[in-house]
Amino acid sequence: MDSIPSDAARDGSICDEAIVLSVTCALAKDALSYFQSGKFHECIDILIQLNHKKRNDPKVLHNMAIAEYFKNACSNSKKLLEDLNTVKKQSEELAKEPLEAVNPGSNVSVSKDLFDSTVTTLNIAVTWFHLHQYAKCLSILDPLFLNIEPLDETIALQICFLMLDSALACHDAVKFLEVFGHLDKSFGVGFGTHEEIGSTMQLSSNQVSKTSSLLSSSAASDALKSDLAAAESGLCEEGLEYDNVLAEIEAEKRMKPVGHIPANNLLKTIGERSILTVDVKLELQLYKVRFLLLTRNVKLAKREVKHAMNIAQKRDSSMALLLKSQLEYAHGNHRKAIKLLLVSGIQKELRTSGIFNNNLGCIYYQLGKYQAASVLFSNALRNCSSLRKDNPVKLFSLSQDKSLLITYNCGVLYLACGKPLLAAQCFQKASLVFCRQPLLWLRIAECCILALQKGLLEGGNTSSDRSEIRVHVIGKGKWRQLMMEENGFVELGGSAQWPKLSLPLARVCLSNSMYLLNVSLMNESKSDLESPLSVMINDTKEASWSDHGDANTNSELKEAKGGMNQDIIQNSLSAYKDIRRRENHLLKQALLANMAYVELELENPIKALSAANSLLQLPDSSKIYVFLGHIYAAEALCLLNRPGEAGAHLSAYLLGQEDFKLPFAQEDFDPWRMNMSSDCEETSDCSTGNARDSLKPEEARGALFANLAALFATQGHYDQAKPFIQHALTVLPNNVQATITAVYIDLMVGRSQDAVARLKQCTRVSFVPGRLEVRAS
Amino acid sequence: MTIMKMEETAIVWTLLQSDLRPIQDVLAEFNSKFTRSRYFPVCSSLSILLQDPMILRSTDRLIAFAIMHQCYSSVKPSLNPFVSEMINAACNEQAEKYERAFLLHLFQWNSYNNAKEIFKLSAADYIKTFDPSTNDFPELGELQREYGNKADGPSSHMFADYALKKLLHDPDVPRGCDPNSPEFDVQVQPGGISKIGSGDRNEAISGILGSLTMGGLAPRWIRPCPPRYPVHQSELLWIDPDNKHELVWDDKMCADTSRGATVRDLLVKGLKVTLSPTEQEDITTALSNDPKLVYHCGITPRKLPQLVEHNPQIAVEILTKLINSPEIVDYFTALVSMEMSLHSMEVVNRLTTAVELPKEFIRMFITNCISSCENAKQQDKYMQNRLVRLVCVFLQSLIRNNIIDVKDLFIEVQAFCIDFSRVREAAGLFRLLKTLE
Repeated sequence: MDSIPSDAARDGSICDEAIVLSVTCALAKDALSYFQSGKFHECIDILIQLNHKKRNDPKVLHNMAIAEYFKNACSNSKKLLEDLNTVKKQSEELAKEPLEAVNPGSNVSVSKDLFDSTVTTLNIAVTWFHLHQYAKCLSILDPLFLNIEPLDETIALQICFLMLDSALACHDAVKFLEVFGHLDKSFGVGFGTHEEIGSTMQLSSNQVSKTSSLLSSSAASDALKSDLAAAESGLCEEGLEYDNVLAEIEAEKRMKPVGHIPANNLLKTIGERSILTVDVKLELQLYKVRFLLLTRNVKLAKREVKHAMNIAQKRDSSMALLLKSQLEYAHGNHRKAIKLLLVSGIQKELRTSGIFNNNLGCIYYQLGKYQAASVLFSNALRNCSSLRKDNPVKLFSLSQDKSLLITYNCGVLYLACGKPLLAAQCFQKASLVFCRQPLLWLRIAECCILALQKGLLEGGNTSSDRSEIRVHVIGKGKWRQLMMEENGFVELGGSAQWPKLSLPLARVCLSNSMYLLNVSLMNESKSDLESPLSVMINDTKEASWSDHGDANTNSELKEAKGGMNQDIIQNSLSAYKDIRRRENHLLKQALLANMAYVELELENPIKALSAANSLLQLPDSSKIYVFLGHIYAAEALCLLNRPGEAGAHLSAYLLGQEDFKLPFAQEDFDPWRMNMSSDCEETSDCSTGNARDSLKPEEARGALFANLAALFATQGHYDQAKPFIQHALTVLPNNVQATITAVYIDLMVGRSQDAVARLKQCTRVSFVPGRLEVRAS
Repeated sequence: MTIMKMEETAIVWTLLQSDLRPIQDVLAEFNSKFTRSRYFPVCSSLSILLQDPMILRSTDRLIAFAIMHQCYSSVKPSLNPFVSEMINAACNEQAEKYERAFLLHLFQWNSYNNAKEIFKLSAADYIKTFDPSTNDFPELGELQREYGNKADGPSSHMFADYALKKLLHDPDVPRGCDPNSPEFDVQVQPGGISKIGSGDRNEAISGILGSLTMGGLAPRWIRPCPPRYPVHQSELLWIDPDNKHELVWDDKMCADTSRGATVRDLLVKGLKVTLSPTEQEDITTALSNDPKLVYHCGITPRKLPQLVEHNPQIAVEILTKLINSPEIVDYFTALVSMEMSLHSMEVVNRLTTAVELPKEFIRMFITNCISSCENAKQQDKYMQNRLVRLVCVFLQSLIRNNIIDVKDLFIEVQAFCIDFSRVREAAGLFRLLKTLE
């Protein structure tokens, strides 16, 4: 049945059409009200009736798909996506038909409206968003955004907010600004318009109740004072300890058992686009703060969050408080961050308690309290899983399921604690969300390398075995012989239980990471060409990242006199791009260094050499990576029988004839330390960081001595080698490799007594009895 | 990984000690117990034992050499991986003559060619029957030229090349001490304490055989592990609750599609005739009541020229509202490419005051105006004059309102003024240009 009025009029059957129209119109209203009250069965029944009356109307099919999804407790996102995509394709085909049969007099736009697939597209994007596919979500919404002017305000707002959240999740500041700029133009928050705006942008909505944000606002303001008091008393007196925090959380729970929000209230919001009730002004202000946090413009964020607090004062301030907490966290003021996090009150609601635990875990991680952080993260995961179980009907239970993000945090934590296997499991799980991020792959590779160091890899020969020299004492009395073994074989107990971490896996991960990094660099340079922002504004930051301090915060931006404007935002963006560029540059160095290392471990000197050479060719590299590049290249060259070139790499650091300078300074390591802006209030105990994280400059110098000695020794220049190995052993008295080289030199010059004496001095040598009992004869 | 398995060690050790069996029997047994793939490990172990003249007894040494030879007897001697050790042993002045002769027999060097005969003897018998007066031993160089490895061994890299044997004498055992002398081997009484320095050759040898590993002792390279990539605080994911992005019910379903129907109908009419003031009023109010209606009113770029001709006011109204639309460029293009008329100029003129128009568009429009005037020459003088006058007034208005920068178009406009200097308005425009110069 054709429902286009003009066609109907031509048929002369206006009456029938009108009746059908009014009937379907009434049915549609019924369906909506059933949907809103959560009666999905009834809703679907009506939709089926409608479908009989209007064969294959895409909108009916669309709503049916949505209702079905809710009926099945939001369990089958895949089917929903399939259905929605079918509907979308259908609408697009239908939209084409009348256009093809264009006759100039008719009104094409009517039919366009009828088959408009905007809502369907939006819903597809929403579903992807909940599946954590943020980039996909953005790419689906992009065409809608390009043509957003004609869309109804409510839909347009939903599209924009969804894009903002996705862009934040993707760290895509450019896309964020594009969308934010549009909203700014339409709703006029303006950056830095600081006059108090009393009126809120309540869009055409009669619903005032705040189901929107974290807490119902009345509860928030009541609880706020007591919370503040509690936090003050609990935390000011140096009560930062984890137990206190836990106790506090417990107390909260006891006082107010976390009840579920009445289902009625919730379901109402499903149909009614609860986003409308959101105070757009506040919302935009909060987004602005999040943008500034993303671009690490701490100073500006501080100012804007104040403004947000002012707007939020009479309403729901929990989100503003949460952002303030994040701000302090970014700033390194961890105590303050904890305080604000508690005050925000998000721990009280089941929905957000996981988020609370996660964020608190982040803070404790930064404080170096890994134990506490790990408890918090696992609590957060538990919160998430209970949320999944308890609230099947809520769609947003899906979006509230942040467990994959928390899992990533767990991975970082385990890696820092030196538990590579657990960490790798976490990263592998989190790869569902982060598989396009180069850093994730580097982290997995680091897990492999750490596992190698700890002797947790399958296949035996690991470098941990190398940390000991074994001298087998064979035979007795006059028959006694010593057998040196620096590469002993250690049986791994039950090696089958380890996951598939391996060096080849590390190699694959590293090349994945490199590929993704290159792709993103390419995209960036492309977008730079397109955007007028390509001119770097920050000349002051040209120094390499190694200049420590707040290299990674965007705080050098001068505050503009008076209000902020677009320029400041653009500056913030370009400064952020600059930061990202430096981080990517550092990431590239790390990748190449790891590649060279892994290839050496895999006994593939050709590949190791090429990785090391590419590392050395990078401009403005960190001194640490330059050192690693030289030392890996030298070893690879030795393995390729090119000692001359190897020597050149090492002697780059020679100071005079027989001394090496420090290849890098301790300051070069600052990016490895906790990242804190210069003006943070407290210093955390960096010492808790794993020793494996860093390489001391003095050790690096010792390695140069030892390696040059080894090089001389292999060439038969024992006299030249001797002073170097002596230096090496002074710097690194218990180093296994240096000891072996020294023993080798001793033996080569015929001083086996000295060699054995040396072995006896080294604390890392163990004399073990021969393994065989006499069995022969 | 050790080279030999325990059982293999035992077998080899037993074979080495079979000094009373004919050598060929021993070799046959070796062949039956070891597969070809095990030859290299066994020979490597033997070569290490042979390097020390004291460890093995002389009969053991002969059998060991015989095995090493036998394993690679199917290839040329120079391809035997252990040939250089054997050559060195054969030329070792300190070694026993019978051992050197034995090796030369293995090599079948010159007159030493009865290896087969010797193999029929046991090792002990060979030594017993050996004629100590034999004195014809070759120089090292001679043997090397004959049998030596021509190409250097294809070892993997220089560290391996320079690897050193790993077996050391315990320095606590005095250097000159001859372990073969019976001095220490006093039989220990059961339950008694063994004498210091006593020991068991068997134990030592099988211990060595059992513990040997491939590869020698080489200088070691320190390979620092790359440091972990720094964890920036932004790497840990701080989570903010999202806005609730919920699935949206499409409330346009079966909805009234008559939204703006009256406006659409009026506009369809407006494409053909000039609308009455009330009708125009209706359209204007409807458009301002519903800001999005303009996108649904049915005026496409293609239809725009018709609307401009008949209802320029409404056209301005619609274009002003569409200014943010991504399609506005198409509308502008339609406007530029339509035939010049009073109305189109009026529309553009009004638009310039209402919204900011792209410079490029205005420029193109003016160029179009000028060329229209020129083209009109062939047709109708009167029409042309009229058009020129219009363009002049239009341009003056643009200049006065600072809509265009005269510099951009100076030459073009000046030429136009000179061309049509007969028209009064053109002369006026020219004077205006001069004042601005």
